[in-house]
Amino acid sequence: MAAIIANPSTAMLKVSGRPGPTTLAILLAGVLLGSAVGCHHGSTRVAGKHLDFNQDVQPILASRCFACHGPDPEMRKAGLRLDLEEAALRKRPGHPDAIVPGHPDQSELIKRIESTDPHHLMPQSPLGEAKPMTADEIAVLREWVKEGAVYRPHWAFEKPARPAVPAVAQGHDWARTPIDSFILARLNKEGLQPSAEADKATLIRRVTLDLTGLLPTPEEVRAFVKDTSPQAYEHLVDGLLARPTYGEQRTRYWLDYARYSDTYGLHFDNSRDIWPYRDYLIRSFNSNKPFDQFAKEQIAGDLLPAKNLDPLIASGYVRLGLSSNEGGTIPEELRTNISRERTEAFGATFMGLTVGCAVCHDHKFDPTTQKDFYALSAFFNNIEEKPFNDDRPVWTPVVRIPKAQNQEAYDKVLAKRSELETQLRDLRHQERGLVERWLASGQSRPQPVATDKLVLRLRLDEGGGGVLKNSAPNANPASFPIGTSKPEWGETPWLWPDFRMQTSTRAILGQTGDSEWNQPLAAGGWFMLRSAPNFKDNGASGALLSKMDTKQHNRGWDLSVAKGIISVNLVNQSPKEGGGDKKVQAKKPVQSKEPFRYPSPTDLSAKDLAPNKPPVKKEPPKKEAAKPKPPKPATPEPAPDTTPLVAIKVTTVDRLPLDGEWKHIFFTYDGSGKASGVKIFINGAPVATSVESDTLTSSTIRTSAPMQLGWRYPDATPAQETRYQDIRLYGRALSADETRRLPYEDYVAEVTGKPNSQWNEDQWHVVSEFYLHNRDSSFGAVESHIAQLNKQLEKLSEGGDLTQVSWEKPSIAYAHILTRGAYAARAERVEANTPHFLPSVPKGESHNRLALAEWTVSPENPLTARVTVNRMWYELFGTGLVETTEDFGIMGQRPSHPELLDWLAVEFRESGWNIKHMYKLMVMSAAYRQSARSTPVQLAKDPKNLLLSHGPRFRMDAEMLRDIALQSGGLLGRKIGGPSVKPYQPPNVWEQVSYPTSDTVNYVQEHGDALYRRSMYTYWKRMASPPNMDAFDAPMRDVVCTRRQRTDTPLQALVTMNDIQWVEAARSLAERVIQEGGRQPEQRINLMSEILLSRDPSPQTQAILENSFAQMRQHYTADPKAARELIDVGEKKPNGAIPAPELAAWTMVATEMLNLDETVTK
Amino acid sequence: MKQHPNCTDCEQGPDVMNMPVPTELKREWAAIETRRQFLGRSGKVLGWAGLASLLGETAFIGDARGADAKGQPAKQARDGFASPHFAPKAKRAIYLFMSGGPPQIDLLDYKPNLAALYDKDIPASVRGAQQLTGMTSGQARFPIAPSHWAFKQYGNTGTWVSDLLPYTGKMVDDLTIIKSTNTDAINHEPAIMLMNTGNMNAGKPCLGSWLSFGLGSMNDNLPTFMVLQTKVNPKENNQPVSSRLWGSGYLPSQYAGVGLRSSGEPVLYLTDPNGVDREVRRKMLDAVEQINQQTLAELGDPETNARIAQYEMAYRMQMSVPELVDLSKEPQSTWDLYGEDAKEPGSFAYNCLLARRMAERGVRFTQIYKRGWDVHDNVTVTLPTLCAETDRACYALVTDLKRRGLLDDTLVIWAGEFGRTVYSQGGLTPQNYGRDHHPRCFTTWMTGGGARPGVTYGETDEYSYNVVKDPVPVRDFNATVLRCLGFDHNKFTYKFQGLEQKLTGPAPASVVEGLLA
Repeated sequence: MAAIIANPSTAMLKVSGRPGPTTLAILLAGVLLGSAVGCHHGSTRVAGKHLDFNQDVQPILASRCFACHGPDPEMRKAGLRLDLEEAALRKRPGHPDAIVPGHPDQSELIKRIESTDPHHLMPQSPLGEAKPMTADEIAVLREWVKEGAVYRPHWAFEKPARPAVPAVAQGHDWARTPIDSFILARLNKEGLQPSAEADKATLIRRVTLDLTGLLPTPEEVRAFVKDTSPQAYEHLVDGLLARPTYGEQRTRYWLDYARYSDTYGLHFDNSRDIWPYRDYLIRSFNSNKPFDQFAKEQIAGDLLPAKNLDPLIASGYVRLGLSSNEGGTIPEELRTNISRERTEAFGATFMGLTVGCAVCHDHKFDPTTQKDFYALSAFFNNIEEKPFNDDRPVWTPVVRIPKAQNQEAYDKVLAKRSELETQLRDLRHQERGLVERWLASGQSRPQPVATDKLVLRLRLDEGGGGVLKNSAPNANPASFPIGTSKPEWGETPWLWPDFRMQTSTRAILGQTGDSEWNQPLAAGGWFMLRSAPNFKDNGASGALLSKMDTKQHNRGWDLSVAKGIISVNLVNQSPKEGGGDKKVQAKKPVQSKEPFRYPSPTDLSAKDLAPNKPPVKKEPPKKEAAKPKPPKPATPEPAPDTTPLVAIKVTTVDRLPLDGEWKHIFFTYDGSGKASGVKIFINGAPVATSVESDTLTSSTIRTSAPMQLGWRYPDATPAQETRYQDIRLYGRALSADETRRLPYEDYVAEVTGKPNSQWNEDQWHVVSEFYLHNRDSSFGAVESHIAQLNKQLEKLSEGGDLTQVSWEKPSIAYAHILTRGAYAARAERVEANTPHFLPSVPKGESHNRLALAEWTVSPENPLTARVTVNRMWYELFGTGLVETTEDFGIMGQRPSHPELLDWLAVEFRESGWNIKHMYKLMVMSAAYRQSARSTPVQLAKDPKNLLLSHGPRFRMDAEMLRDIALQSGGLLGRKIGGPSVKPYQPPNVWEQVSYPTSDTVNYVQEHGDALYRRSMYTYWKRMASPPNMDAFDAPMRDVVCTRRQRTDTPLQALVTMNDIQWVEAARSLAERVIQEGGRQPEQRINLMSEILLSRDPSPQTQAILENSFAQMRQHYTADPKAARELIDVGEKKPNGAIPAPELAAWTMVATEMLNLDETVTK
Repeated sequence: MKQHPNCTDCEQGPDVMNMPVPTELKREWAAIETRRQFLGRSGKVLGWAGLASLLGETAFIGDARGADAKGQPAKQARDGFASPHFAPKAKRAIYLFMSGGPPQIDLLDYKPNLAALYDKDIPASVRGAQQLTGMTSGQARFPIAPSHWAFKQYGNTGTWVSDLLPYTGKMVDDLTIIKSTNTDAINHEPAIMLMNTGNMNAGKPCLGSWLSFGLGSMNDNLPTFMVLQTKVNPKENNQPVSSRLWGSGYLPSQYAGVGLRSSGEPVLYLTDPNGVDREVRRKMLDAVEQINQQTLAELGDPETNARIAQYEMAYRMQMSVPELVDLSKEPQSTWDLYGEDAKEPGSFAYNCLLARRMAERGVRFTQIYKRGWDVHDNVTVTLPTLCAETDRACYALVTDLKRRGLLDDTLVIWAGEFGRTVYSQGGLTPQNYGRDHHPRCFTTWMTGGGARPGVTYGETDEYSYNVVKDPVPVRDFNATVLRCLGFDHNKFTYKFQGLEQKLTGPAPASVVEGLLA
């Protein structure tokens, strides 16, 4: 395993084949030299023997061949697939063999890449242009075929095994840790030598910055330099790992990996409350929570047993992505985008794979199929939430965190609740067995509802086509054609995959439901009332079922909904708007309850839910951004219709919550001509009603207008885009017992009438849920116990902060494969599952996020440990062992040190996923402790220092830079955690991009301590991230970033020279050295250097700065007004005891030092 | 013929030294020529990323560090595209982005027959299966709202233009009007991202970033890609425009657009703090550079060199940007052309004038955002304001570029993210109406380098609802824009996540030859 060192001399000798031996020898020599850099494409190695498929061959095949001969069948040419051994070696009728192992000259692959005929030559671009391989690439492939064309699985998909630590003869005394043996072996192989250890000052600065994000103090530096004990460095490291700032520093990186931000990112880009998640991260890192637990809590904390709220708070991770409430939003499209975003985020952070490439088609290079992608996305598609956010700072599910004084009591109740939840989950886990036992017992079997006088039954389970089937016995007519505008089929399953009316869909049911005032009638079914951002009151209004003639004063009957109020109308005649919806509202205020369930508190106040008001600026009055006008009344008020109302109108009292849930809505009418003869049932239970009109008596309600779903055609507003299922109409009034059985039991009776071997997943789900809620003795008891505890929890958390979390639904987690990724182009429905080419979820596990979380950190998972240690390495060394931290797939970079990566991954897992242990291991290594000085030879051989012949050196990230500037001037606040703050920001950064009514339209800077918090607490608006951090490559947090760019641009210099924050920091640093440094300029410069660089300045630097100080002092003495102006920058008052010109001069010297390459570099 | 020293994309460009640019700038350019040779010689040890925005050479020389930040081999840029693939017609572009979705029926897509159909329902067969936005999907009726305004024929081409756009009418013979632009998105956020970045989801680079990445800078003192926001008119329905629209996505972040702001500092953090004058800044920078040179000598890190250059560029930007926005030397003829509006910082006219000044100074890509076109209601009141704000300024910009000989190699683009419905949103009265988002057709125009003048391309049906001839989907539109600037959109790629990513996305796209000169 460790024998990676090829012998170059044999490589050059033993070659034969088409290019003359000499040419090839030269060629190969060139290739070998190229390999000094190690791990990128084009640096492959032809060692004459034993090519490493993963390291040497696959990158060439992938980048040159897979686009047309890879995993994506859509793009595949000539039926040839080269990414799988079996497929590559398969005979293809009519084609010569692509690969004949051991015989390059008989292999079509080799012939093609060596061809001189441009039509024959491969590879070709999709447009048919030849794009010949390089000579090195051809040589490698030829050699590989010659060696037998051995395939090996992609390195990252094989479980890492702990490799032997290489025994390195030379330089043994250099190596301090196993890490170093790997590094040294590779350096030796490439003819490079490691560098000496950095001096102690450099070392303490480096390690303190890496582990805490802050500078060591001059005192700490002095103490460390003085400490000559062999354990000095280790003690230092241990001390740093124990500091609370360690957790802040780790969290700062994780915020990028988790795409944390304080706004939701689209359209209004309003604020969202989720900062408690950030506090959770800090707590977790500081308590050294094992990574497996840490990962599980974020992916599925809501499904874990809980002793406190941390796992639930952690599950906010899932919901950190973009959200929207744009007026025209199509909920299905948004839902698709949201689960897609979560899947891509999870893929990048936990799997190190670019799964998003498979949104539209099978991945072109990785084995990720489109099915894999959507099956993975299904895990994130089963949360109790609406896709749009109502412009709220929190939208369900959310949790209220108890105040400190109640926490203990709260946690006790929570733990109990968690136990009960586990009981429920256990019952669900065994539900199939329980159902079988129940049915076998023959007791309390489900009873159907008699089909007597059932006139209409639209199951609406056709799943497509242009006809709706009437499945009532002896149905007449037996079917109804749908018009040209098709409905949506199968967007969500309920009893079965559903049916949704589109805007123009017409389901015209002829004279079905033709009923007179004295005839009993009962009708209704399952409905999912549509809710979308721009719907009036966020919910559909209109007729659900109607046989009413709007041209004849609304004669007829209907079942309709307005703002969650259900009404039944039996009309002889009525004025226009005959439903009289307006009267309902005028009469009495209706109960409006938010549809929250645990964990979301039901007492969320209007204040909790209203978007935060855009803060008003206390600035000179300027033009107020106008609110967008409310939609104008549709038409000029028509003349009042004086038709007298002759009708029965009965309405429900309580509003149905607009929660995007299915509701069974049904009414019965006894044919009495009285309002008292009308009853309304929701989910099988009668509900309180009020009589709005009772004037029908014995007037006719018959009309020739057709019965319809969703409309009182032609000119009344439809019940917008409602979902329907199992719609029924009886010519009799059902008994209360029948209406109770109608929603569920009737169908369960139908299903259980068949042997369960014939049930599909949806049917199993329906029967199981029915059993648990209606037949299982313990389930209901536990549920009501839980309900009591919920009340206690709510009480105990009163007044606490809210944060968004995840909450899994009990239903089956599924998604649809979407053709070309288009949200409406649903193909196969797939259940949640992990990618087929990785270990599967253990059999018998429920396929929910918890299973995904367990799978992610299972010992079988080849990716998580590697991906995670690689990011740790990236944080410390500036570049990952795999440079593409987000892509361990076939097109990602190969690891520079594959064995080291595997060793670290196994060490991580076997240490109990001990995060601090890993950081300690890395910073204790000799590789880390090297001097950063580089020689021209090193630069020439390894310009990116991937082999680590010298220590890491790179520009610090945005947050660290701002933090050390504040720290150097003694400004930095040390409070940990809490809501985000708004420090200095130039005017008009938010204002110029935001929607005028966004609650983040105005940036209102805070004052005092808020100006000097660590940068990780700066308020992060996605549409306009903090500009002084944006300049230094801080990501927008729209998407996951596992690796920041590290550019150098002039805009950065402008920040560090001119940002108030930096100028104020420079002045504070100046004050500090004047007060603490002594009287002489030399002493003050020394202190400044100690503070920023942890060492004394060089004599030249000293001279340059002294000279500069003299110039500045001269300048500001001559211009005291300018001096005054400069030291007045920032809100902290300058020290009045220091003469302005002197302070100004020192401020400029401090600015110089803060802008040094060495200062901004770690 | 002497080229701009950094303009390696053109064999036969105009002599930049003869361009109407300040002599100060020319001196700078001459100086870069020298430094460029120096850099070329010692390129191996220099941090190219730092110099990229300064010299814009990344694409050609290979971005040793910048590309690395994305983990690409250093030679990627070279392999991807050695240079523009065609002799470009345009060297720079100005994109007038009409955010919100201008109503094509009221502006350029003349439908005289609609008047007779006032308040009639649009036939269901025309609407077909189009998914409507949540804002009108609940309407019982979809009554036709003919345009409130008369149209006239203009120019030799006899192009019909609404009375709302008299100035646009005057330049129709120069324009390439595309009536058949269409998009896949129906709501603002996805549509505006699709138009700008070729993808409805966040995280992809925008057109301007692609161009700065591919073409580099022609200017040593100003960013390659600049973005101008037009001041919000609170009477209009102003959809947000986020900085991700000019973000660089997976391209290195130095290719992101730099906002030029209408109030306060034109570029963030540009201005020295109070009490620091140019002399102090110079001295401060001299000290910093001397020490950095020592660091370089001591540690040998190429990045240090990049940082030294970065500070110099910052210093020069501090002078060149104020010069750019100083309009005091503009002659009266400028104001006669653009109107007095152009004197108000942040007005659309002001931004157009700045765009011309940036074109002169070698800014590659300028994008002006004008919000407010989201006319869901009250069209007859809002639209005249929007047109008054933009019509003359667009004309002035095109005319000004033409007069100065810059139009030949500057592509000017006018577009929003989608069109608007022929049927009224909300109530229709003889006096007023509203229009909802409409993705199936919208009108855009181009002019200048590469575009065929005097052409009206594509046709919509009599309801301006569906395209009936020569559809131009967004990806084709972008492919065509790239073509004008010298790129084959299929070859202009950047390897990210293992794929050759491109502006036009994975679906097949084609250049619309009919739009090209």
